[in-house]
Amino acid sequence: MAWYSRIWNVVRGERVHRDIDRELRFHVRERTDEFRAAGMSAEEAGRQARIQLGNPVVQMERTRDMDVAAWLDATFRNVRLALRSLAKTPGFTATVVLTLALGIGANSAVFSAIDAVLLRPLPFPDSDQLMLLEQKRPKVSQTFVAPVRLMDWGRLNSTFQGISGYYTEDASEISGELPEKVKRAFVAPRFLEVLGVPPALGRGFRPEEEHFGGSNAVLISDRFWRRRFQADPGVLEKRLRFGPGSFAITGVMPASFRFPDRDVDLWFTSPMDGPFGQARQLTWFNVIGRLKPGATLAQARENMSAVQTDLGRQFPQTDAELTVDIQPLKEVTVGGVRESLWVVFGSVSLLLLIACTNIAALLLARATQRQQEISVRYSLGASRASVVAQLLTETFVLALSGAVLGLLVAAGTSGVFRTLAKSLPRLEEIGLDWRIVLYTLVSAIAVTLWCGLIPSIQATRRSLTSSLAHGGRALVSSRNPLQWLLVGVQVALAVTLLSGAGLLLRSFRELGRVSPGFEPSHVLTLHISTNWAEAGPEMRPRRDRIIEALSAVPGVESAATSMAPPGVPFGFQAELKVAEGRAETDPKILTDSRFVTSGYFATMQIPLLTGEPCRDAGPPQVLVNRSFANTYFPGAEAVGRHLVPPFPAARPAEIRGIVGDAREQGLNKTPAPMVYFCGADAQPGTFFLIRTQGDPAAMTETVRRKIREIEPSRAVFDIMPLEEHLSDAFAENRMRTVLLSFFAITAVSLACVGLYGTLSYLVNVRRREVGLRLALGALRGQIVRQFLSQGLAVAMLAALAGLGLSLVFTRLLAGMLYGVSPTDPLTLTAVILLTLAVATVASLIPAIRAALVEPMQVLRDE
Amino acid sequence: MARKNDILQGTLALLVLRTLAARGKMHGYAITTHIQQVSADLLRVEEGSLYPALHRMEQDGWVRAEWGVSEKNREARFYSLTAKGRKQLAQEQETWARLTEGVERVMRYV
Repeated sequence: MAWYSRIWNVVRGERVHRDIDRELRFHVRERTDEFRAAGMSAEEAGRQARIQLGNPVVQMERTRDMDVAAWLDATFRNVRLALRSLAKTPGFTATVVLTLALGIGANSAVFSAIDAVLLRPLPFPDSDQLMLLEQKRPKVSQTFVAPVRLMDWGRLNSTFQGISGYYTEDASEISGELPEKVKRAFVAPRFLEVLGVPPALGRGFRPEEEHFGGSNAVLISDRFWRRRFQADPGVLEKRLRFGPGSFAITGVMPASFRFPDRDVDLWFTSPMDGPFGQARQLTWFNVIGRLKPGATLAQARENMSAVQTDLGRQFPQTDAELTVDIQPLKEVTVGGVRESLWVVFGSVSLLLLIACTNIAALLLARATQRQQEISVRYSLGASRASVVAQLLTETFVLALSGAVLGLLVAAGTSGVFRTLAKSLPRLEEIGLDWRIVLYTLVSAIAVTLWCGLIPSIQATRRSLTSSLAHGGRALVSSRNPLQWLLVGVQVALAVTLLSGAGLLLRSFRELGRVSPGFEPSHVLTLHISTNWAEAGPEMRPRRDRIIEALSAVPGVESAATSMAPPGVPFGFQAELKVAEGRAETDPKILTDSRFVTSGYFATMQIPLLTGEPCRDAGPPQVLVNRSFANTYFPGAEAVGRHLVPPFPAARPAEIRGIVGDAREQGLNKTPAPMVYFCGADAQPGTFFLIRTQGDPAAMTETVRRKIREIEPSRAVFDIMPLEEHLSDAFAENRMRTVLLSFFAITAVSLACVGLYGTLSYLVNVRRREVGLRLALGALRGQIVRQFLSQGLAVAMLAALAGLGLSLVFTRLLAGMLYGVSPTDPLTLTAVILLTLAVATVASLIPAIRAALVEPMQVLRDE
Repeated sequence: MARKNDILQGTLALLVLRTLAARGKMHGYAITTHIQQVSADLLRVEEGSLYPALHRMEQDGWVRAEWGVSEKNREARFYSLTAKGRKQLAQEQETWARLTEGVERVMRYV
């Protein structure tokens, strides 16, 4: 009972105070009565009674101490004291709180991304059981799975609770006035069961809906439900029209369900027992599985490998050479951005460290100025621990205010990731919640210790007598090694950050300078909704009609299609055979492939070097790039030969010509051998590329209207200039470059403010000395030189130390750099020069101020 | 300044608890006079220590305090023993007995 009543008494301090006072007063009155009865005068009796009780203030304090929890009481007192003393120096307080708000806020914002993307499990129950399964064929990079094989895997394995799969397409939904583009997923049976997420409204698919020829059913996303049906709960009786069919809406998925990706609005069943699904060589499913509880990844790999080996024996033609690759779904989803995010987080933590060091230096100066106050407290009997506690409380009040403001900063900047990196996985899950708040509070405590501990220990170290004896004259050592050390740490860390940012910036610029081998400007890209069912030879005339119509639009130079925009990675590698035969010793032809229409080369301005353009119709034709010809047919004629893709029933395709090398797989990748298959079908996901005479964005409406004329029931979407795709492909690169540059600039500014502050402080302390020297005939130039060289010496030493740190730090960036080495001398020199230049300016101001001291003025002040 | 009849350190709680056990509800002033009278003026409670001690005992749960009215119709804070205080008293009495016996034996040793 004691502890909580003691805590409670701290809070109701006034009341406790009054009660003790009443009690003591009663005692004095009784005693007075006693003395008067013994014959004293009223006055004398009262006086004696009070004397006997002792000093009333001490008596009150000692009694009260018994009633309250001492530590809490002291904390309360310290907080009150801190608030009062901080309020007296509003400039200092505001500077520190704002610096911390920025530092902590940026740190928390980046942490919120790390937490949401990397640390948290995927938003499915027991999501660490979820795996992505791929089939690997030695000659092809494509990893999709045939429906019948998916079912085999599900039936034969012993380590998965369930295996399902999906594929997606963009389609137009035509129940409304205009065809609306929606991305839909086709899912294998048990899809929701494997993911473990039931619909928020309605039900999942019934078995009869998952069979070929069964009833049509569709699940819709929360977003689609709100957009199209205004969140009408009666939606379950409605139907959606797609092409010739209409589908009953059986359920609405929860808003947090964004699988396979954030754009999917509809989930349809994909009957596995349909005639299409039986061909083992036709593959189009992405396969996911949920491990049994307790089963490990290694067990699953072993098990699936055995299963596939059995299948290979059973179906030697199609399955013998296949293997199964299993990866955790989370790894597949976020593995690609892990490095970038940690680099950004590391940088923002360095920034916080710099901010803290900066504040530590400020606090150190402040504590030195308060030497007097501290000495008085000592002489009144305060223990060193209690003085340190008081100084730390002050720092904690600062840190906590900074953290609270920082949370606002973090909340305000959470949109940064959305702007900078649209393609960041799990972007929607980034947000502030109690975990971030907790993290921010822990940051505040860490900041308190880092900022406050050194100054408070340092400030309380001076002996009592020396300080009191010196009276008001602050005789502070002008060497202040600790303060300079703090400045040095800031500068060194800032140089480290700046080097990282400099390298990323240089690398980004190098990327911009690359000549890609195609002309990305003045090209408009778009999608036209298509579905897999119609993708086939009958689509070709339709595709040709669209291309023809687009090419005829005034302002359009040419048009073509490609499975992927140039300059954006597209993984389709296949091992090709040469129909004419090759020597056994020749290297295998394993190349990237692109599927285009013949107008692609004119549209992208990729030059034809030898041979002839290809045609879309007739027997299959390909063009190859120069690297291909040089690699696989060195010194021999490539044109006229026939390549055979490793697909069942593939027809040999004639090499019609050789085109120039283009950086098709990304501007940061040197061109590799590439085969262009001409006359590709316009299947879901195909890009239409349109070269325009003027600004491509200005053609958007014209193009949209034209397509509407010839294909009124199809949705046109994602219309944007090609350059935007290229820029999106670098989104992650840009995110870390922009963020790191911002952090580095902030860091350098902070470090220089720190340098400036420390030197200004020294100048202030030494004004008297400077005045004296000037009076004795010192030149003002000498004074400037002296202070300047003091500041610069520290900056230079620190810059050198920072250079050493950079060499470690930038090695982490090595994998993210293009066209510049992690130890690029130009960048590092520039970083040092920039730092020293800013440091010079920061030192020059206080140095000049020192030299402008009026000797007479100073001497008179004394 | 050492007063000759100051109470031995550590025995104040024992005396207060014993007093409350014997006389029931009392205010602070009455406790001092009681100790003084019963000890025939041999012991004198230092008033400066009494109230901190009473408040500590209250926080420790040995005594309970409540406001009441004194014989002279003045507002006073009255203390009474709790069950926990009774247990504490027994314990302190035993300690005291052992202490005095020990001191006695040493003094008697020749």
